[in-house]
Amino acid sequence: MNHNPQSSDGKHDDDSALSDFLASLMDYAPTIPDELVEHYLAKSGFQCPDVRLIRLVAVATQKFVAEVASDALQHCKARQAAVVKDKREKQQKDKRLILTMDDLSKSLREYGVNVKHQEYFAGSPSTGIDPASREE
Amino acid sequence: MSHGDVKSTRDTIKSENQQRLSPGRLKADEFGRAVSKIAVAQICESVGFQGFKESALEALTDILVCYLCDLGRNASFHANLAGRTECNLFDITRALEEWEASHGFPSASDIGHCLVGSGTVREIIRFVGSEEETPFAQPVPKFPIHIPTWLPAFPDPHTYIHTPMWNERASDPCADKIEQGRQRRKAEKALLQLQQRLVCNGSSGTSASLATDAEKEKVQGGESNPFLAAPLQPGEKDVSLVVSPAKLTDEARKGDHVSMLEPFAPAIEAMKGGPSDGGKLHLPEKRAAVHFKFRTGKKILGEPLDLGLQKKGERGTTAFLRNEERDDKKRRAEFILRQTTEFPMELNQS
Repeated sequence: MNHNPQSSDGKHDDDSALSDFLASLMDYAPTIPDELVEHYLAKSGFQCPDVRLIRLVAVATQKFVAEVASDALQHCKARQAAVVKDKREKQQKDKRLILTMDDLSKSLREYGVNVKHQEYFAGSPSTGIDPASREE
Repeated sequence: MSHGDVKSTRDTIKSENQQRLSPGRLKADEFGRAVSKIAVAQICESVGFQGFKESALEALTDILVCYLCDLGRNASFHANLAGRTECNLFDITRALEEWEASHGFPSASDIGHCLVGSGTVREIIRFVGSEEETPFAQPVPKFPIHIPTWLPAFPDPHTYIHTPMWNERASDPCADKIEQGRQRRKAEKALLQLQQRLVCNGSSGTSASLATDAEKEKVQGGESNPFLAAPLQPGEKDVSLVVSPAKLTDEARKGDHVSMLEPFAPAIEAMKGGPSDGGKLHLPEKRAAVHFKFRTGKKILGEPLDLGLQKKGERGTTAFLRNEERDDKKRRAEFILRQTTEFPMELNQS
């Protein structure tokens, strides 16, 4: 629990790093525009006149979404690799990486967000009653 | 970079979102969601995706909006906990740590450390350092002040916005006066025509109407009660018809009263080009200074008419009357001059 003098130096480093970072945020333009972030933060009661903090929130959100997307990409690539192993002739077609609900729900599961997608929509009440007729 | 056949390009997203926005009123937060969708698409593209499924993109947009709102709520909660209304860096850091707690971040296990050295912030710093800058694709206009649709509509802007009003009317006193005079003369001419028609209708039969008119004038000139006077028999006052107008005019002149036929007589004669009746022969001789009282509340009104009338009745005046007329004219001219200098506002108020 005791903070040694070395940690105080570290604190100073952290301080300076943080202040530098906040200054650099002004040059960096996050993908999520400032107006959008301000709008939603104002809706939830967040009140801050400092633009740097708005940018910080925007960057944090961007990081989060990027992480989710990259996880979904990993899933997609893994799935494609598995498919390609079986059918080589379809390699050309499956080169495109498309974000699907499947990959997204898998990656969001790890973040504690449950996004379940309807697997199919039944056209009539009798759909799926006879499993023998369904094509695998 | 195209987003594949399953998804339209970013520009089409914007356009179709705009198409959705334009008809009718804005649904709750549609604009914000549209902008977020574009941002999410850009982020995914930078990660490496080449196409999206519409449902997946919508879900991720929802996630982004929820994340922003949650972060704001958490940060404001921490600020309020510390007794502040405005959030600062540490509130955001705490909120971020709460989020990341389930996922795990470096220095999460350190308790009692300064938030400045928080792992989440360091992660963010690293993220910013590693990511190449991809600014938002489209210029975002100032966020619209969103009014929920269930609130009543604003009233018309002209009811509560006060705009300056400029009095475009340029007032020109001389032109106004001339216009006034011209209008009065027009009205006077119309009246004369009407009178002439009445006189014509009356004189074509008997002179009874004239008699009655003369009688009326006499009565008015005499200042006696017209209701107490005995009614005239038709044709009774034939002889006196010739005489009475002379008497009447004298009285009228002295008494300054309005007589009905008399002021029109010269004009009528002028229009007819010669009297057709015996009774009328005498009338043109009388040139009285007639004071028209049209009762419009302005002094100036009567004057131009008198001038006009006098000009018309210039022919065949007696010397006696001419002197009076000249004095009158002089008086009138002086009066007009006085009016223009002293009461310029009155002229404009017509």
